[in-house]
Amino acid sequence: MTSPAPSGAAVPVLRAEGLVKTYVMGDNEVRALRGVTVSVGRGEFIAVRGPSGSGKSTFMNIMGCLDRPTSGRYLLNGIDVSSLDRDALARIRNREIGFVFQGFNLLPRTTALENVEVPLIYGPLPRGERDARALDALSKVGLADRAGHFPTQLSGGQQQRVAIARALVTRPTLVLADEPTGNLDSRTALEIMALLQQLNRDEGLTVVVVTHEPDIAQFMSRALVFKDGHLVSDTPNPAPQDAARELAALPAEEVWT
Amino acid sequence: MDLGLSLKLAWRALARNPLRALLTMLGVVIGVAAVVATLAIGQGARASVQAQIASLGSNVILLFPGTGPGSGGSRGAQGSSSSMTIEDCAAMARECPSVDKVAWSVRSGGQAIYGNNNWQTGVIGTTEDFFTIREWPVELGTTFTDSDVRNSARVAVLGATVVENLFGTENPIGQTIRIRNLPFRVVGVLVRKGSSAMGTDQDDTIILPGTTVQKKFLSSNAINFVYISAKSAGEINSAIEEITSLLRQRHKIRAGQDDDFFIRNQAEFASAAEATSKTMTLLLSSIAAVSLLVGGIGIMNIMLVSVTERTREIGIRMAVGARGRDILSQFLVESAFLSLLGGAFGVLLGVGISVLISNLAKWPTSVSPSSIALAFGFSAAVGIFFGFYPARKAANQDPIEALRYE
Repeated sequence: MTSPAPSGAAVPVLRAEGLVKTYVMGDNEVRALRGVTVSVGRGEFIAVRGPSGSGKSTFMNIMGCLDRPTSGRYLLNGIDVSSLDRDALARIRNREIGFVFQGFNLLPRTTALENVEVPLIYGPLPRGERDARALDALSKVGLADRAGHFPTQLSGGQQQRVAIARALVTRPTLVLADEPTGNLDSRTALEIMALLQQLNRDEGLTVVVVTHEPDIAQFMSRALVFKDGHLVSDTPNPAPQDAARELAALPAEEVWT
Repeated sequence: MDLGLSLKLAWRALARNPLRALLTMLGVVIGVAAVVATLAIGQGARASVQAQIASLGSNVILLFPGTGPGSGGSRGAQGSSSSMTIEDCAAMARECPSVDKVAWSVRSGGQAIYGNNNWQTGVIGTTEDFFTIREWPVELGTTFTDSDVRNSARVAVLGATVVENLFGTENPIGQTIRIRNLPFRVVGVLVRKGSSAMGTDQDDTIILPGTTVQKKFLSSNAINFVYISAKSAGEINSAIEEITSLLRQRHKIRAGQDDDFFIRNQAEFASAAEATSKTMTLLLSSIAAVSLLVGGIGIMNIMLVSVTERTREIGIRMAVGARGRDILSQFLVESAFLSLLGGAFGVLLGVGISVLISNLAKWPTSVSPSSIALAFGFSAAVGIFFGFYPARKAANQDPIEALRYE
């Protein structure tokens, strides 16, 4: 399934060419991806959808440099990373990619600030500048005043915002979010979507979100749908909904933050 | 990732489970304490053997009547044999050019009484030269003289322990004590020598003129042993040769027959003591090594558990850019830290045990900085060696699997 990059994306951040991923499980071969070609431009906000087993998770793992394709090429910022070794992939994850997970995946018994600093530990930033950078990222998600809190002292939405700050702190070109609202109630989910939209708009961040909820997908400017290891649909959404406005339209309720 | 941060992370991981960390360390603590205490006892023993051998006096040769331990005869023979005479001793002093002084001696023992105090102690009967050869001067009063020996005078020179027990703080000089119910006048008190390598108190003794002991206590002219000093350390061997040929001649021993006496010098005492203490140290060290090994396995076990428990943390760290070697070093620093902390406790415990032993058992001990460094080095090595496998297991995790781990 091939589709041209939509207009407005001059330099592709991601470019997948004929991606194939085959797992061997015992005697069976599982063909998770069967030739996926797609481009994502800078500043796009993309929804990746599909039923479980469709290959979207495998696609995301390869996009996130957590995994390597069996064949095909994957170019990140124009550089072929599909054949790099483990250490080189770790370096790219550190510098170019931010991850947001469904289960937040914050380190327990570690403060919000220290959680945000974790990627910096493995990066080039000198130790003395890490606190300031992490605090800056925390204030972008509106949690500068919770820097000293532990994850157990934060609500789900706040934890996810700490996780987003952690994804932003190295100033990556790409943020990959895997079901970022899956563990949240609908109001908090809207808050997270509003935050991602704002970061996409204001910081020019390229964001790719895996979601199975059509409600969530309507906030993105483009939807990729996977099925049986193929990219079956690539649809631009010319008028994505504004999560912040929807949030404002909700009846007043006790707000967590 | 720098070391300071690694240490901070390691400290935090351990502080999360202090009891577990302590129990894990215990093996290393015991191992290191055993190493430190063993070395302290060994070194203390060696130092005191050397001091004791030196306290024998310099260039000292000991001569025993009898056939000696090497020729199959029993050592008990030395006391009962009467093959040595006072004339032999005089001849040695006179005719052997390498010999400086000769002091024949007999050994006895008995109860000493002064006032209401009594004390069971050893008695050495000897001559005036004994004090010179043993380099053992008096602290108070004088030694007895050769004329006291000729006259079998009832005079006594006391060791410091005997004085303490009979006189307390009173000045014993000129007082009369009874030894085996015979009155003796105290003429001198010896300076304190302290305990020997074997733990015996050298100051728990009374020195009397040899002839007095022979006549009054032993009713025998036999000599138990002879202290001889060579003129210099380099002349010890020639002195031994001269004495041997003189005594063989005087005792009319034909060529091919065994000597009826045997000679020991400081070097032989030193090497015998050294060999004993080496064997002891080796034995205890192997126990310590086994304990360290067990401690290391304990560390490996807990680190494996810890790696499993923290699979998700490993996954998160890898996802945000930690390389395998970052994870490896994090876990290695943690196990080395655990082991070094155990080592530190072990050093403290080992020093404590050494102090306790030297106080309770009156064994001399000496904790040297090199033994502490050795113990630390060992525990660091144990931590790194046994931490490597779990750390590598952590570093080789697949980030996707690790992130999915529940």
